[in-house]
Amino acid sequence: MSSVLLQQTINGIVFGSLYVLVALGLTLIYGVLVQINFAHADVVTIGAFAAYFFTFTLGGNYLASIAVALVVGAALGWLVNATIFAPLRERGSELLPLIATIGVSILLQNAMLLWFGPIPYPFDSPYSNEVIRLGGGTFITWQNLIIIIVSTLTIALLYAFMKFTFMGKALRAVAQDRETAGLMGINPSQLIMVTFVIASALAGMGGAMLGPILVLTPFAGTSVIVKAFAIVIIGGFGNVEGTIIAGLLVGLIESYATQLVNPGLIDIIVFTLLLLMLAFRPTGLIAEKREENV
Amino acid sequence: MTKRAIACLGMAAMFGLFAATNVDAQDKVIKIGGLFPMSGPGAYFGAQDKQGIDLAIEQINKTGVNGYKFEVQYEDSACSPLPATQAAKRLLDQYKPHIVIGEECSDATLAVMPVMEQAKVPLLNAGSSSIRVTEPGNPWTFRIMPNEVMQGVDIATNAYKRLNARTAVLLYENTNAGIGNAKVFGDTFTKLGGKILADIGFGRDVNDFTAIATRIAGLGKVDVIPTYTLEGQGLRITQALAQASVTKGGGGQSIQLGTIWLPFGFEQKAGKAALGYVRIVQFDPTDQRDVVKNFVQSFKAKYNQDPTHINAHAFDQILVIADAVRRGATDAQSIRDRMAATKDFSGVTGSVEFDKTNQNIKMDTIHYMETLPDLSWKALGWN
Repeated sequence: MSSVLLQQTINGIVFGSLYVLVALGLTLIYGVLVQINFAHADVVTIGAFAAYFFTFTLGGNYLASIAVALVVGAALGWLVNATIFAPLRERGSELLPLIATIGVSILLQNAMLLWFGPIPYPFDSPYSNEVIRLGGGTFITWQNLIIIIVSTLTIALLYAFMKFTFMGKALRAVAQDRETAGLMGINPSQLIMVTFVIASALAGMGGAMLGPILVLTPFAGTSVIVKAFAIVIIGGFGNVEGTIIAGLLVGLIESYATQLVNPGLIDIIVFTLLLLMLAFRPTGLIAEKREENV
Repeated sequence: MTKRAIACLGMAAMFGLFAATNVDAQDKVIKIGGLFPMSGPGAYFGAQDKQGIDLAIEQINKTGVNGYKFEVQYEDSACSPLPATQAAKRLLDQYKPHIVIGEECSDATLAVMPVMEQAKVPLLNAGSSSIRVTEPGNPWTFRIMPNEVMQGVDIATNAYKRLNARTAVLLYENTNAGIGNAKVFGDTFTKLGGKILADIGFGRDVNDFTAIATRIAGLGKVDVIPTYTLEGQGLRITQALAQASVTKGGGGQSIQLGTIWLPFGFEQKAGKAALGYVRIVQFDPTDQRDVVKNFVQSFKAKYNQDPTHINAHAFDQILVIADAVRRGATDAQSIRDRMAATKDFSGVTGSVEFDKTNQNIKMDTIHYMETLPDLSWKALGWN
């Protein structure tokens, strides 16, 4: 039983890492803009498709495809913000960009349906079925090991960027008070664009690593995004550290629930936790003042 | 009456005659509503259903049936109750079909049935396995595929008697069809003397099946794993079970058992992990009957690909309607009545004859196949 639980811990960390990558983008955008981005799921899906086509149509290396998906995600984030969200924000309404994210999501899903079709793509990376046996019946695939390594590096880099670079500090300043940051010589619009680019790059990269795990269809990201929203809430809106902990926690809950109870109860457990957090600890796992979150 | 007035009357009469002829030509059309998932996780059904239906209608319209041409209008029912109901209402209100074919997913079909009954338009189903589609019986709903009881009893009996399986783990999506199919398998298998080691249901939003595979790996010797899920999750389950060394594809001993839900080509997508997978398909392309050979040939000619059983059962739905029209059906009521009296119909998936609940009672639509090491498959000939 202990080896089974160890295996489930590995499984939980793998999926938790992916959840973190997806949820971090959501929490960054919320932290800076106080806006929920419903189109984030579709950037994940597009990242997965970018990696798929780079690997299988162009014959590229799968590891390189993760970088390609990152660039595609970043470009998409820039494009969507520049052409849709930023102009709407300039009108001074908070509701318009929010509704626009739903519109962008539907548009992207249907465009993908048109271009890629509805039939699931068999996206197996060269590492998907390569298994490392760890002894005692435990194992990890190379794909999952790559997920853990890349996610850890990315999270560390993002954390360092936010804490130690001028731009990271500027982002946090905009998150604290957009107007005052503007008076200090920071260009909030530019910083918002940076946030969208980083968040979408993370989503695209997450898609490339999720692709070989997910059922790759134009709706693939939707199945992950609901959990990612839950993670953002459990971790505390806009709280990066909280999101990392909550992501891993949800991954582990899923694995242990599958082993000890029933996978059919996963959503009940996760969303009960979400409701409890909202009721008793709305600031999230790591209680911080709102203005210090990002 | 002046010459001018006579000319006007003559013109009007000609227009009237033309209009009447035109109405008559329009009336000689059997309008078919196609209710299929074109979006969401079941969208692969809709894409393949459409291919089969379009081919059948193209062939039928070359000559027509009793002077009738066939016409179809599709609506996206998304494999889900609410969009399916809305799509059915749109079809009935705007297109006014004589018959509706679909849906694939049981939850969606069950939701649509009362709408069709109220409108008195027959619903011909080929892809929903829940027993509740035809039990206790709805005069307006027909099903040409074997229901979950017919499939479940058959596959559990074959697992016990032909594969000598004594232990099983049930894996299924938490839908009417998933739960129903798994329950029938479990009940039959247990009654025969087998043991169910775990009963694992999951939502359609589950992505990672490593945790489920890990749990199964910890259960000891599992002979068979009947799996009831759509293609996408099915692929990942098969791969996860192989990675955890549970199934033959990963060097284990368990045999995964699958259902009609999965399309052909599943093995190629799942890869080596699918080795030894035994599953039911509703269509055997190696069948030597002329109707099958012609279907395979014409499908390849039109789409430049091999037909799947989803293509085949969609094709058969149109043939069943054509059979009813050939026997004198002209409108919704008579299509319903003639379909209910269908006998000795032989389509590409097998025979059709409806019982009093409008369930096809013929079992020759169940074909078993096993995945070979080169990922091709062989028909097992169990039915």
